[in-house]
Formats: sequence, structure tokens, C-alpha cells
Amino acid sequence: MSARFLVRKVAQSALTIFAIVILNFFLFRMMPGSPERVLLRNPNLSQRVIEETRKRWGLDKPLIPDQLVAYVQSTFRGDLGYSLKFRGKPVTEVIGERFWPTVILIGLAEALAITAGLLIGAYAGWRRGGAFDRAGNGMSLILYSMPYFVIGMPLIIIFAAGLGWFPTSGMTTSGGGSAGGISVFFDFLRHLVLPLATVTLGLIGGYSILMRSSIIETRAEDYVTTARAKGITDGRVLRTHAFPNAMLPMVTLIAINLGYVVGGAITAEVVFNWPGIGTLTVDALSARDYPVLQGIFLLLSVCVVVANLVADILYGFLDPRVAS
Amino acid sequence: MTIVTTDPARSPGPRGEPGGPRGTAIRPSRLRGLRETVGRFIARTDGLAGAVILAVFTVLALMPELFVGPLETVVSATGASLEPPSAAHLLGTDELGRDMLNLTVHGARISMTIGLLATIITIAVGAVVGIVAGYIGGKLDIGLMRVTDFFLVLPTFVLAIILAPILLDIIGAEAEILGIRATLLVIVVVIGLTSWATTSRVIRSQVLSVKERMFVDRARVIGTGGARTMRRHILPNVVNLIVAQAVLTFAVAVFTETTLAFIGLGDPFAPSWGQILSAAQAAGAPGLRAWWYIAPPAVCVVLVVLAFTLVGNALDDILNPKSGGRR
Repeated sequence: MSARFLVRKVAQSALTIFAIVILNFFLFRMMPGSPERVLLRNPNLSQRVIEETRKRWGLDKPLIPDQLVAYVQSTFRGDLGYSLKFRGKPVTEVIGERFWPTVILIGLAEALAITAGLLIGAYAGWRRGGAFDRAGNGMSLILYSMPYFVIGMPLIIIFAAGLGWFPTSGMTTSGGGSAGGISVFFDFLRHLVLPLATVTLGLIGGYSILMRSSIIETRAEDYVTTARAKGITDGRVLRTHAFPNAMLPMVTLIAINLGYVVGGAITAEVVFNWPGIGTLTVDALSARDYPVLQGIFLLLSVCVVVANLVADILYGFLDPRVAS
Repeated sequence: MTIVTTDPARSPGPRGEPGGPRGTAIRPSRLRGLRETVGRFIARTDGLAGAVILAVFTVLALMPELFVGPLETVVSATGASLEPPSAAHLLGTDELGRDMLNLTVHGARISMTIGLLATIITIAVGAVVGIVAGYIGGKLDIGLMRVTDFFLVLPTFVLAIILAPILLDIIGAEAEILGIRATLLVIVVVIGLTSWATTSRVIRSQVLSVKERMFVDRARVIGTGGARTMRRHILPNVVNLIVAQAVLTFAVAVFTETTLAFIGLGDPFAPSWGQILSAAQAAGAPGLRAWWYIAPPAVCVVLVVLAFTLVGNALDDILNPKSGGRR
């Protein structure tokens, strides 16, 4: 891979992130009267206090360039402002607390969905038109049409409220902390099962559908015909010749999807009240906590841009034609 | 991944596409081309099944009153709270005592209307950007494609979540534009603004190939202006693609509307399916095992999204030279 390709891709990503920061700034200045409006909620404020606060916050300076420059500077320093809902806690702290629950849930779900989705898609595509293909691809299309909460709510009705096998919501049983290490862990696992199943099912469809069409395309390639002509068994042609080549487009999809891991499966987290970034997004939305929303958007955008960059570079390695 | 971002849209349907009368000797006229397309579409069972489902829901959306009477409100609710299905209420009632069958049928109108309007915006923006960028080319093309790529990378669903309350703050939640309530309008605009990029990419690549054809050169030589050429010569040749893309976008729009409504951005006075499910979640229906509150709207959402995807995939295979040619 040429160094020029690498430099160009990195520069593009840096530019995109910069553009996102600027978009973020203007998005939240578009609102009428904000952020002064937050101040003016208190009718007892004297004009003098308002003036002083405006000065302290730098709101007396012009929007461009002073306020913009100040915003960009503090953003790159890692200062994302303060939450409105959580009583002035720094946004980075608010988001940080919700980070791991989401990464564990979505990370595990991605791993399961990628494994299952690729296998189902590959086998369905290889035996195109067969019974497995029809069942597998049909199921995938149906799952692909289901939002997370449409998968999660029936799971709660059946396995939590109905059979009572799993808890309906949360990540831990409150007040159960005294029992000691191992039972706390099992409690966590019991809470994890249903959300994990929901997100996994929601993700499988996309992977399996794309893998299937990728395998179908690969199957028509000359090298697959050659491998067959050499007398290699059908299963081995699939495993050693078709599958690795069909993985090429999948690598991009997987890398890009991993960028979304921090964003969480918002509606899945809401249904199970999982204390991750997804529920935080919805809580911040209903409280109109713009600094937190802004922070989540920024974090997710950066992750997605970086994931795209990784995808491009990986693809350049795997398929040198792209990078030349 | 919450929204349908990746490209299974591009993937072939469950069954292979039959060859169709492709190699006919005479160049088919436009009417024959249409008949051929319809013929090939009917031969695809999956696309046809999707079309039938959509026809049923379209009828429900056009005249819900005919089937279940006017939309029930808190005041006109006919049942008790959370009644399971019975002869009086075939699909039970919600926590306010409203008949679920009534709500679900009326939800069709709201969900499909929002989906339709969002699709129109998405396709209009995407088509204009794609055609202009592809036809004019040069610096304008590079600039427009930069913007497109930016929107392709952005996590559009979270952007939509942020944009919706901001837009509501600006225009005011009580406002009505063209008789549509602001809350719904904001959802429409937000879906449109965040999902046009794919369409413009797809259309631009087709325009690039169309504009090299002889009849475009001929039009240019006899002095046809740029705008007229795009309208009269380029547009008709990418309209196939626009139709296929519009159907696929419709699926995404209904899906996104449902999700946005579920997390609280919907309009309580205009219960779309997502809004009903949001109310069900708020009322604790899953924990109360009130399956009749969840199943009807959920099944409808899945059926409609699935149907649009099936029809869109079938049309895409038939109409899009790129995906059709690979088999």
C-alpha cells in the first residue's frame, strides 16, 4: 500500500472530524435564545448579573470567530461542557459512566452476530435456492425488518414476565451487592441474556444477507470453477476458496459497524433499561440536556470516522487494487 | 447499527430472477419496456408478495374510518384499561381503554404518511444532488460528493435524535404547517435530511454513464441548455433507478419513524405504530404480559418494512443495470 493512500485517508478523516466539531457548534447555536435562555429561566436575575455571566461565559464576544475558536479549542482539550440534567457534572464523566455497559453488551452481540451471520449467509448463498437458503434468508430478511424493541418486547413477555427465567430490566439486582463476588457476576449474566439476545438477533440479518450475496458473487468466479475442476470437495471449495474471498466486503461492514458499538443499540437499551449510552441518549433527549447529546454525537461520530478509516486501510491491505 | 445503513438493500431477493425476454430483436418501445418490467416483476414471487401486503396497507391507510370508525381518543375510548382480546375488542385495549384494532388501523395512515413524505424529501434531494453533480461534474461534483460522503459517514440516527428537538424548539411544537402538526413534520424533515446521501451516490454513478451516450451529445450540439438536458434527457434515463431507490427508502423511512417515535419523538395525538409501541413501553405492557398491546403495531411495522424491502429488491434487480447485470 502506498504511503500516499494512507496519508490521504488519514487527512480526509481528520478533516471530517473537524467538520463534525464545527457542525456540532452551529447545531446547538441554532436554537433560539440559547444558551442565554437557560439563564433567563430565573426571573429574579438582575440585568447586571446577566451581563456579568454573559461576559464570564464569553457570550458577549461575536459568534465567529471568538466563540467558535473557544469551542473548538476546549473540545480538542477534552472539555465537553457540563450536563444540565445531572446538576452540572462534566459531560465526559456522565458519558464515561455509561461507556462500559454499552461496550460489553454491543461488543458481545456483535461478536455473536458476526459469527452466526457469516456462517448462515455463506451456507445459504452456497446452496442458493435450497431449503436452508430459503429458511435462512427469509428469517434474515424478517429480522432485518425488526427494530430492536420489536425483538426485545416479546422476549420480555415470554422469558421474563411469563416464564420468569430472567429479570425484566436493569443490569444488576439492587440491594444484592452483599452476597459476594461470584453471585454478583451470575446476577449480571442473568440480566445480560435477554438484551444480548435482542441485539444479536437484530444484527444477524444484516450480516447474513450481505454475506449471502457476496458468496453468490464469488461462486461465479473463475477460480472457484478451477478449484472445482481440480476435484476438491465441495465443502473445501467453500471453506478455502470462496469464503475468504467473499469476506472482503464483509470486512468493511464489520469495521464500520464496530464504530457504532459505543452508540449502543438505543431502543434495545431502553426496553431493558440497560444503563448504557443508549438510555443516556434518550434520558438526555427527554430532559433536553443538549451538552450531553452533543457529547454523545461527537464521541459516536469520531468512533465512526475512525472505524471508516480502519475499514479503508484494511481494505487497502486485503485488496491492493483499491490502494493503488 | 440501528438504522438500515448497510447495503443488503442491494442484495438479491430470496429467489433467483428468471431471465425474461431480454434478447428481443426489436428495441422495445417505452410501453413495451414497461410491460416487460411488469412481467418480470410478477415472475418474482417475493416482490409480488410484498406488493400485495403493501396494497392491503395502502387501502387501510387511505380509509381507516371505513373499517374501524373514527380514531378513538381518551374521551371516546370504548373499553376498560388493558382488556385482553374479546369479541367486543378483537385485539384488546390499551391502558386508556382504546380499542387496539382501531388504533392499529389508524396507525397505518400515520406511519405510511410520514414514510411517504420522508421518502419524497429524501429522493428529491438525493436525485437533484446526484443528477447535478454527475452531469455538471468538475469542481461542483467534487464539492457535492464531499458533502455526500460527510453525510454517509455521520451517525445519522443520532443526528436525527439531536436535530428533532432543535427544530421543534425553532418552529414551536404547537405550530401547524399545511395542516400537518410540527412534531410529525420535524420527523419527516429529519429523516429526509439524514438519508438522502445514499440515493445521490447511486444516481450520480448512473448519470455518469448516461451522459456519455450519443443522444446527450446530440442535444448539446443542437444547443440545448444544461437544465433542459438534465430534465429532458438525463432524468428519464435514471427514473428507473429513482423508483427502485424510492421503494427501498420507504422501508428505511418507516423503520426510522417507528424508532424515533419509540424513543419519545412522536406525536401522542397522532399515534403511529412506533408511537403506540412507545406508549406500550411507558405503560409497562411487556412486564404486564399485555401482548395484545404490542403485537398488532409490531407485526404491522415488520410487515410493511419487509414488504417494501422485498418490492425494492425486486425492482432494483430488474431496473438497476448494475445489480441486474451481475447475474
